[in-house]
Amino acid sequence: MTIDTKAFSHFLEQVASEIDIPPGKYQQAVERYQGVGRWLEEGIYPECTGDLSIYPQGSFRLGTVVKPIRDGVETSYDIDLVCELPLQKSGTTPQSVKAMVGSRLRENRTYAKLMDHEGRRCWTLEYAEQEGVGFHIDVLPAIPNPRGLLDTAIAITDKYENGYSWSASNPRGFGEWFDRKNQAAFALAVTEQKQRIQRNASLIFASVDEVPDRLVRTPLQRAIQLMKRHRDLHFNNRTSNGYAPISIIITTLAAHLYENELDVYSTLSGIVNKVQAHAALIEGRSIDHSLATRGLIQRRPDGTWYIGNPVNSDENFADRWHEDNHARARAFFQWAEALQRDVLHALSMEDSRVLNEHLSRTLGASAVTKHLGLIAPPLQPQDVPRIHIAEPAKPWRDW
Amino acid sequence: MERLVRRELQSQVDELLSKHRGLAVISETDTEVIVAGKLPFEASADGLETITGSFDIEIRIPNDYPKQLPQAKELGNQIDSDYEHRYTDGTLCLAVPIEERRVFAQQPTLLGFVDRLIVPYLYGYSFFKMYGYHPFDEAEHGYEGVLRHYMDFLELKNEVAALRVICFLFEHGYRGHHDCPCGSGLIVRKCHGPALRELHENHTSQTRRRDFIGILQFCAAKIEYGQLTMPDRLRNQVLRILNKTKLVKTN
Repeated sequence: MTIDTKAFSHFLEQVASEIDIPPGKYQQAVERYQGVGRWLEEGIYPECTGDLSIYPQGSFRLGTVVKPIRDGVETSYDIDLVCELPLQKSGTTPQSVKAMVGSRLRENRTYAKLMDHEGRRCWTLEYAEQEGVGFHIDVLPAIPNPRGLLDTAIAITDKYENGYSWSASNPRGFGEWFDRKNQAAFALAVTEQKQRIQRNASLIFASVDEVPDRLVRTPLQRAIQLMKRHRDLHFNNRTSNGYAPISIIITTLAAHLYENELDVYSTLSGIVNKVQAHAALIEGRSIDHSLATRGLIQRRPDGTWYIGNPVNSDENFADRWHEDNHARARAFFQWAEALQRDVLHALSMEDSRVLNEHLSRTLGASAVTKHLGLIAPPLQPQDVPRIHIAEPAKPWRDW
Repeated sequence: MERLVRRELQSQVDELLSKHRGLAVISETDTEVIVAGKLPFEASADGLETITGSFDIEIRIPNDYPKQLPQAKELGNQIDSDYEHRYTDGTLCLAVPIEERRVFAQQPTLLGFVDRLIVPYLYGYSFFKMYGYHPFDEAEHGYEGVLRHYMDFLELKNEVAALRVICFLFEHGYRGHHDCPCGSGLIVRKCHGPALRELHENHTSQTRRRDFIGILQFCAAKIEYGQLTMPDRLRNQVLRILNKTKLVKTN
């Protein structure tokens, strides 16, 4: 049975929206982190003259949120919130910056209760929600660390065994880079999507204008969501859990390789095929010249790997890929190959049951089953099993 | 109940999938096998209308099946999130554990689990949505549901009798020549023999213990309010069991 690529693309789009954060939940998340932001802004911090800068980074900033899944169960959403204090690097230490933010949070009775132990780079607030999945907000204390006048780069705090150090980062810069890569597709998608979102969530958004840009999803964003979900399931049941490719690598490569394809299927296959084309690097062989010139994934002469931060070439996202005999590098390419096989090759699957099995296994049964009708023929009336109920049990509840 | 040999589990899965063609094996790990997909059905029951429905479900089969029965979940959000017999994570509460085991025993395969437990549950839900009541009745929540099951199944007159029954099962299992714990004065064989045997055979040590704790807690609460009195002999038996199982230290 071959599947129409258009139908398959539509199916992938629907699955991606299933694993996305629903608009109501998104609004709830925004309210939560804005609340934290307001509290932090109103704090008094020694030697701080000026306003704090508080903003989300990561998937909430980029519009690539996926429902996290561990052992087949959906766990809480992960919100990263940067808290930038207007301090000079020379006038403070990472330890004190971390501590200042931590103690301000603890001054609030509610947040104090939600706070977990101290994280390596952040303070975590765990929110359990009454309905459905909860959130945890990772508050990352930081200070500006500009290399030039307009530079948005920051220094975040990093706690290791013997103390604290600074770590370079530039989430705002990265966000802007991503937005540029996404721009054309965004312009094409925005009107139609905002209308649809408003229609489906009219209780939350009274008009199209109220729908935030951050809820619009281009094929690039959808592709990234599907890749992240596939990664979560692929590494779920294996001992190789610690070697799963980090989201920033997936996002960076996808954004680099996106060529403004108009549908999710073409986008995903374009990205995955080009990523896979780098696999020869594992064996130290050379790859296609045009890809090599772009230098998105590089193997250095000493055998280590390089995937540069597009807004800071000093930062290497693949700096740990060579460890444990290139475990992460191998895990990455094995995963990319599995993604190619599981999702892209699904088009040529013979049997609708095999199709269901494959796609559910790799993208999550809950998201896939609902939309399977888009690509698989529905069961014929004569296939519907007939059951006669005799001596049924009474439904119950444990408490 | 022993763990199933791989081959036997495979043949049960094959049997299930050949009748319910919308399902597929989604995952196989050390701890469980997951079967999921669409479950369309046309179900009828005596005196009630035929209902056709389709639900997206997931069945998790633990590696010690059938010692532990599978868990079923509805994936498609078709069942209202506030439906009483469904947990927040989507798991369906099919029945009081001992009743679930008794029904399963009638066709102890995965197909039996689906046809005799899951489909009737889904039928019941569909019916409930249409007419506002449960066609096969519903069990009370928590311990009370467990206790009422014993009372209904054995036609017991009061809760103390249920406590005597579970203590009997705990201490003696099945003994045809003992006095029947229902309090009739007859011996088991001439009284509730078949029913007690069925309970005994379908209990696992885990379900028996949980039922004991549940029924005891329910009765204890009533005793505290003076609504029930526990005869001395029964109290001693309860203490004996608590001591033996080290649930509570009684010196």
